Amino acid sequence: MTDYRYIGKSITRIDGREKISGAAVYTDDIDFGANLLYAEIVSSTVAHALILNIDTSEAEKLEGVVKVFTGKDFPYKFGLYMKDRYIFAQDKVRFYGEQVAAVVARTPQIAKMGAELVKVEYQELPAVLDQMEALAEGATILHPDLGDYPHVPWFFPKPGTNVAHWRKTRRGDLENGFAEADHIYEETYEVPRYAHCAIETHVAIGKFDYSGRLTVWSSSQSPHTQRNLFAEALAPMGLSQKDIRVITPHVGGGFGGKAGVTMEILPAALATKLRGYAVKLRWTREQEFINTYQRLGVVAKLKLGVKKDGTITALDHKIYWDAGAYVEYGANVVNAVGLSAIGPYRIPNVSIDSVCIYTNLPPGGAYRGFGYSEMLFGLESHITTIARQIGMDEIEFRRKNAILEGDKTAYGAAMNPNGLLEAIDKVTKAIEWDKEYKSTDPNKVIGKGFSLFWKAPAMPPNASSSAFLKFNEDASINLIISGMDIGQGYQTVMAQIAAEVLGVDPSKIRVETPDTDRNPYEWQTVASHITWSSGNAVKKAAIDARDQILALVERVYHMSQDSLYLEDEAVKCHNQASFNLPLRSFVVEGIATKDGSYRGGPINGRGMFMPEFSSASGDPDTSQGGHPNVHYTVGAGALILEIDKDTGKMKVLKAAEAIDAGKALNPDLIKGQITGGLLQGLATVLYEDMRYDDKGRLLNPNFTDYKIPTAMDVPDEIIPIIIEVPQPDGPYGARGVGEHTMLPAAPMIANAVENALGIRIRSMPITAEKVAMAYKKHREQ
Amino acid sequence: MAFSHSFEYFRPGTLAEALSLLDQYKGDARLLAGGTDLAVHIKENMATPPVVIDVKRVTDFPGSRVSPKALYLNASTTFSDIVNHADLRKAYPMLWEAARSVASVGIRNRATLAGNICSAVPSLDVAPALLCYDAIVHVASSSGTREISIHDWFISPRKTACLGTEIMLGISITAPAVKHSGIYLKQGRYRGEDLAQAGLGVLITSDLQYRLAYCAVGPIPFRARAIEAVLNGKVLTAELISSAKAMVQDTVHPITDIRSSKEYRLHICEVMLERGLKAVEQRLNGAEFDSAEILGG
Amino acid sequence: MAKVKLTLNNETRTIDVEPCETLLDVLRDKLGMKSPKCGCDRGDCGACAVLIDGKSVRSCLIFAIECEGQHITTLEGISGDQLSILQEAFIEFNSFQCGYCAPGVIISATELLKSNPHPNLEEIKEALSGNLCRCTGYQPIFDAILKASKETKK
Repeated sequence: MTDYRYIGKSITRIDGREKISGAAVYTDDIDFGANLLYAEIVSSTVAHALILNIDTSEAEKLEGVVKVFTGKDFPYKFGLYMKDRYIFAQDKVRFYGEQVAAVVARTPQIAKMGAELVKVEYQELPAVLDQMEALAEGATILHPDLGDYPHVPWFFPKPGTNVAHWRKTRRGDLENGFAEADHIYEETYEVPRYAHCAIETHVAIGKFDYSGRLTVWSSSQSPHTQRNLFAEALAPMGLSQKDIRVITPHVGGGFGGKAGVTMEILPAALATKLRGYAVKLRWTREQEFINTYQRLGVVAKLKLGVKKDGTITALDHKIYWDAGAYVEYGANVVNAVGLSAIGPYRIPNVSIDSVCIYTNLPPGGAYRGFGYSEMLFGLESHITTIARQIGMDEIEFRRKNAILEGDKTAYGAAMNPNGLLEAIDKVTKAIEWDKEYKSTDPNKVIGKGFSLFWKAPAMPPNASSSAFLKFNEDASINLIISGMDIGQGYQTVMAQIAAEVLGVDPSKIRVETPDTDRNPYEWQTVASHITWSSGNAVKKAAIDARDQILALVERVYHMSQDSLYLEDEAVKCHNQASFNLPLRSFVVEGIATKDGSYRGGPINGRGMFMPEFSSASGDPDTSQGGHPNVHYTVGAGALILEIDKDTGKMKVLKAAEAIDAGKALNPDLIKGQITGGLLQGLATVLYEDMRYDDKGRLLNPNFTDYKIPTAMDVPDEIIPIIIEVPQPDGPYGARGVGEHTMLPAAPMIANAVENALGIRIRSMPITAEKVAMAYKKHREQ
Repeated sequence: MAFSHSFEYFRPGTLAEALSLLDQYKGDARLLAGGTDLAVHIKENMATPPVVIDVKRVTDFPGSRVSPKALYLNASTTFSDIVNHADLRKAYPMLWEAARSVASVGIRNRATLAGNICSAVPSLDVAPALLCYDAIVHVASSSGTREISIHDWFISPRKTACLGTEIMLGISITAPAVKHSGIYLKQGRYRGEDLAQAGLGVLITSDLQYRLAYCAVGPIPFRARAIEAVLNGKVLTAELISSAKAMVQDTVHPITDIRSSKEYRLHICEVMLERGLKAVEQRLNGAEFDSAEILGG
Repeated sequence: MAKVKLTLNNETRTIDVEPCETLLDVLRDKLGMKSPKCGCDRGDCGACAVLIDGKSVRSCLIFAIECEGQHITTLEGISGDQLSILQEAFIEFNSFQCGYCAPGVIISATELLKSNPHPNLEEIKEALSGNLCRCTGYQPIFDAILKASKETKK
């Protein structure tokens, strides 16, 4: 095993002092001076309607209102993968809360008063609030112009219906597969919508100066993608990428919710019509719940065939997604799961239909896990049940069918190296799976739940990362990259990678938040790909800098580059122990020669990474032939759950989660992902969910009734386990883990409830109420 | 969040000043104590008072007194004052437990018992305790003071017997003359801060008198007197508890809302009754435990 | 507009406020203290926590005008010239990820350790239950507070 100096070490986070002292600057913390204006959005009060008239006259009369805007001012479309939405609603609103108009005023108070004076006249249309209804014959069509929407080539919309995209994956012979099976089990699972609940709401400020330059400060995971989408949307106004600058300060939590573009387009667009001003828009917590991306709702129909010995022969997995009113981002969630709904299993005969369906609910989009949590709730519940049905131990069943390196994925490519079996073994051991757990309290029972998980980054095949690195006089380094540290510790890990290559301590490397004018391109901080992709770019930039250093030393001192290496901020030589040239002596100023002239100059490294083997051009009817996913990260989890039989109250006594990080660049940060991600996952299954009334109005747009876990709600014990089966193309073998940590939570709880009480709950969330009432019914029968 | 509503602010230093402001502005004024409800209501346009009278600096509210026999808590008393009061905890465990179950430290440091009682929400955690202890609410107006029994206090959701020209001075409780103990059980959606799906206060005396009061399962918190009547004078047995539980369906009439279904509320009311009775009996006999664990945490 | 005089991080400040302005907005927009954050604006999340006369409160639920004559401490005031033992422990244990909830969490933990220098785990959980953190899963926060409490002499 290679002995690394900084890689694999739990280095203290480089952003700690800033964040813990209160110094860290978030978007809302920036002062803009006297010419700052505030926007307030007028939102749709109906889920589906024609806009007959918007009367802004009363608002315009209010002193302090600078201007009122409606959709007429911005007839421009935008979207990441499919351009299906407008900056403001045009003739139609498609969800409760959709932006209809904006009042821009001198103070937030006046803006709010102004917005209350805007009168919108609607003619209501039937609202479709359920994806199965939207699929039915004769359903109201949300997007009659679907056929005209530009989209990426790997989407397959069905114009004339509410199907925005249908990912079909076919492999082997399904009929034969089921014919070979000794036992077939079919069931339906349901998952509601969820909200990210980053503690910082969305906020953005647009400023269009008199020279025609647009700067947007935003709380975002995607500075470059935002710049590109702003440029595309605002191109009719003559703006190009070079005219737009996106600055992204610290982000107060993302979880996918701040990927792509949602409300940020509003202040960006408004600013273009208010030259010289800065225009600020900050979502309230209620708006955050109502009008940003949400996790998509799911109805999944599963049919699994197995032999007596436990071998899986066939899987038919139909997943119907409630993708909301606009699917410009959410359709890719559907796509990703449509390629991966076999889970981490070797299944020869497969049919997957992943159907993206428009509904009159807020737009679905990226949420930590990108659809895999929803898919795994059904699949891993199903696996536990079918193992029990054939009388096989569920762990053994999973071991037997676990996907191994070289096995074929659903789309036919070979599975990457992975430590799935090791994860199963380590979790089983850590949780003492075979131990009899029994409560001493007669009101309580204890159950055990297990789940595997996997997930691949969902990205366009050409998603790329790049990095600049510049040395300062004292051999400290500015590492200039455009990924976002949304809390996962990205900046620290990138500093570790550069440190390892260059022999400079990470504490001497400064990584700042990005500015698209100064920092090189990064696709976005999503998909758990950033450690892998940006890490590769940073490593290349550091190697580029190192090569420049070694070439210079070779040129000046006539030493072979092969004999030179970097350590302790100096160039050293394998063949000449006394040689020690401190980096600080030359990385900016160059090396002095005998005649007083200098060689070299500032050392600046550059690196870029794009996965050139990736391709999304699989067959539309089978998904065979491409290589859409770069790799999968796998793992396993188990927990011990105590349940009060009468109240249904549940407590996780112990949970273990193992994840194959390839190489843990900073083990403590991975453990932090496990502790945090697992709790987020447990919350989705135990108490969170978005509840809508029959008019499409969210009933719980606040933390009073959308319950996210508090310090009182943590498991008694979490055992984080790191597996390291290297990813061949990852930096030092690393692959991403950020999203995965929450994936096993829901099926583990469902499985533990069945284990303890003998009841199988197939709809999330599995609240205390649901458990208590189901068990009451079960007992009465 | 910006307020679209503006108001005039007064900060009287004495009760007389406060009452005279209240008379002056009649129905236009709202009293501000901890503000943890009022600030939200004003922000969300649920309240638009032209005048806000901050009573936090009123210095002449009668002083609070706590003894095992009687208790008086004045209008300045915050929930943290109650939670941090060791003697109160010992003598009135049900009230203490209810106070501790309200929100979290940062709210309890500010929110007052008086403000809370005046909010009269159906899920009012301290209501079962006040109902079980037969509390008296003391109010003052410019024409004098009056006492209102807690049993007459709650009129309907968010409406009390306190008139717009009155200011609450405090609440008083006289403890039962014989040995007694109490408990407050609260069912929330999780262990952390939550509004009650259902709450139950149980008081028991050594001469086998029982007092029961529910919150969050009806428009106003209420005493379950019919169930008390079945229990009074009898030693707790499994049969007795069963007959008490059987009465829940006819005594409690909850609704379905975002926090719970009606069916679950009814079910929980039964579970609470059984466990509450058993626990409070143990407590009367000297057992020590955390009531938050009684319903499974 | 009304004048309010208060002490902010040991400095006397006088400002003009409208009665409807919250302490949170005034701290951030008129007094230059950016550490209290807006997360929910209705007292649910704790990101706006500050100390008034040593007690943690939700600055989003307080009108600035109520604070006449009071002592307000924000995280800036705790940081001062040197981070506290508690803050150093937060750095050591990665007791934050995005960092947005950290100012409020540290305010609550500071209040706890002042009134109860050696809390047990349950007391820590109780004290922090009004500060929502979506990133860490809370365990690293508990670890830091326990460590800081050990470093505070018995």
